[in-house]
Amino acid sequence: MSSAYLPKLAKIVEVTEMTAIEKLFKLQFVNEEDAKSFTFKPGQFVEVNVPGVGESPISICKSPTRPGPLELLIRRIGRVTNAIHKLKPGDVVGIRGPFGNGFPMEKMKGYDVLLIAGGLGIAPLMSVLQYVIDRREDYGEVTLLYGVRSYQEALFRDMAIDLIKHPEKACLRTFLSYERDDPVFVSLMRDHPENVRKGVVTVLFECADPYIKPDKVCAVVCGPPIMYRFVLKELAKRNIPPNNIYITLERRMKCGIGKCGHCIVGGATAIRYICKDGPVFTYSDVLSVRGLV
Amino acid sequence: MLKENFKDFFETLKKLGEVHAPVRRGRLFSFTKVDSPGEVALNYNRTMLPPKKYFVKPFEEVLKIKVGKGYELIVEEPKSLVLLGLHACDINALRVLDSVYLDEPQDDYYQVRRAAAIVIGVSCEPDEYCFCKSMGTDYAWTGFDLFLHELGTSYLVRVGSSRGESIIESMSNIIGEPTKEDFIKLRDLELKRSRMFKKILNTSLLPDIVDSLHESEVWVVFSDKCVSCGSCNLVCPTCRCYDVTEKVELNLQEGVRVRRWDSCFIRSHALVAGGLNFRPTRLDRFRHRYNCKSSIDPRTNLPFCVGCGRCSAFCPAGIDHVNVLNAIWGLA
Repeated sequence: MSSAYLPKLAKIVEVTEMTAIEKLFKLQFVNEEDAKSFTFKPGQFVEVNVPGVGESPISICKSPTRPGPLELLIRRIGRVTNAIHKLKPGDVVGIRGPFGNGFPMEKMKGYDVLLIAGGLGIAPLMSVLQYVIDRREDYGEVTLLYGVRSYQEALFRDMAIDLIKHPEKACLRTFLSYERDDPVFVSLMRDHPENVRKGVVTVLFECADPYIKPDKVCAVVCGPPIMYRFVLKELAKRNIPPNNIYITLERRMKCGIGKCGHCIVGGATAIRYICKDGPVFTYSDVLSVRGLV
Repeated sequence: MLKENFKDFFETLKKLGEVHAPVRRGRLFSFTKVDSPGEVALNYNRTMLPPKKYFVKPFEEVLKIKVGKGYELIVEEPKSLVLLGLHACDINALRVLDSVYLDEPQDDYYQVRRAAAIVIGVSCEPDEYCFCKSMGTDYAWTGFDLFLHELGTSYLVRVGSSRGESIIESMSNIIGEPTKEDFIKLRDLELKRSRMFKKILNTSLLPDIVDSLHESEVWVVFSDKCVSCGSCNLVCPTCRCYDVTEKVELNLQEGVRVRRWDSCFIRSHALVAGGLNFRPTRLDRFRHRYNCKSSIDPRTNLPFCVGCGRCSAFCPAGIDHVNVLNAIWGLA
C-alpha cells in the first residue's frame, strides 16, 4: 500500500560534521523502487524517522539536478535530531515525503536570483543555489547574502570563502556577514571589503545594492524566524514586488500533509497549513495571512 | 414512515451494519452501539463527543515499526457502520472533516472508516447552546444517506445519496409515499424550529471582524478565564488536530506509532525543537482557536464551526463561544 503515512527505509551512507551541532547526512533508499520514485523540488522537505523516537521535518539540502544520495543538513536541537546525530553510516532511518510546495523554479526563470540565508537557513537554500548554478542559462545574475554568527558556527564555510575568493567559478556574487571576530573572517574581510561585513545579514544590502534590480529579481529568503521581519522590510524598501519575494518557514509538524493541524497559521480570513500550502510563501502571503512571520 | 414502523426500520438497519445511535447516559447522551430500537434517544439535544470519534479515533496505533527492517500501516478491515440520529450540524461537521482528511493525499485510516459508514440524520430542536442557524449549518443538504424529519406521529424520510435510495427501496412495506399534508407539516415545523433559536451570532463578515479586531481587549478578558484544558477541542466536531508518538518494545526490535487527539490549547502545540513557541501565551492559543473556528473551509465553503454548542456546554470555565464572539461584535 502506497501511503503518505508509510516511511521508506533509507540507509545513511555518509556523515559529515559541519559544525559542533550540525551534520550533513547522505542517505540512500534501501529499496531500488523507492529511490526511483523519489523525486523532489528545491525547497521541499522530508519527515525523518528514528524508530521509537519519532519524526522530524527536515529540508532537503540538495538540488534535484544533482544525482546521488539524498542530503539532509541536521542541527542537533531536539529529541529526534539528537537521536539522528548518534547514527552512523550503515544505520537505517525512515523517510516520508517529499512534502510541501517547494520554490517555483519555473516561475523564477529569466529573473536574477537573490538568495538571503541566515545560519541554518542555508540548508533549504542550498537546493535553490545548486539548481540555479546547474541551470545557469535559465536565470539572470545570482547573488548570495549569507549571514553567520561566527567562523566556528558557519555552515559550508569553505564553500562560502571559496565563492568570495573565486566568484568566477560558480558565476555568482557572494556576500558574507559574521557577528563574532575570528582570524579567518577578519582577514577575508580585509582582502574582500566589498564582500564581507561584520554584523547581521541585513548589513550586506549596502554591499549588494548596486546589483539588485528590483523589477528583474526574485528574492529567496531563509533564516531564523526573527530574521524575516528585518529582511522583508529591506526588500520591500527596495520595491521588489511582493510576489517575487519567497520565504520558507518552519513550524511544528507531525503529518506533513495538512491533516494534523499543528502548523496551521493565520487569522480568521485565511488559515494556511505551512506543510501543505507552504513551506514556501511569498511576501504577498505574509501581507495577507496573519502570523506567517 | 409512521413512528410505529421505526422498530422495523431499525431492524433493517441492523442488517446493514453495526448500528450506533445516541443513547441516554445519566444527564448526557452518547453515541453508542445499540441493539434494540428502545435504547435509541432520537430526541436528544447533543452528545458530549461528536461522531468524529468513529473516524478519527481518540487514540490508535497507526504504524507497525520493525526497527531497521521496515514499516507497516495498521489499517483495520472496514466494518460496516450505521450512524443513526446525527443532527444537521454534525453532518456538516463530517463534511468539513472529509474535506481535510479526504483531500489528497488521503488519510488512509479515515478514508476506510468513512467509506464504510452509513449516515442517517434526524431533525432536532435547538436548546440554549445551539447556534447552527447562525452558522448556516442547521440544514444538511448533503453528507448523509437518509434524514428523518419528525412530524409528530411519523417521520418524513429525506434521501441524500444513491445508497440511501437503495436502502429505502427495500423498505417499501414500512415507508410510504409522503403526502401533501406531510410537506405542509414539515414546512410549519421548520418555520417553528427556525424561530426557536436563542443564540444568535452575526456571521456576515465574521472572519474579517475577528481578524481585524485581533488586538481587542475582549480576547484578554476571556482568555484570562480559560483554564487551557482543551475540553472544547475534544468535544468539537470539526477539531481534528492529532499528535503522534512512538514507542518500542523492550526487545528494541519492534515498535508502534500511535496518534491521539491533540489540543491547540496545550502549550506544546506550536512548540518547535530548540524551544521556540509560535503561540507562546494562552492569549495566543485562545485567539488561534477562534481564528480557526471563525474561518471558512475553502473546499466546502462551510464554516469550520458548525454551531453545535458543545464547546460552550462543556466548558468548565463557563466560556460561551457565541458570547466571546458577540463581545467582539460589541454586543456584550
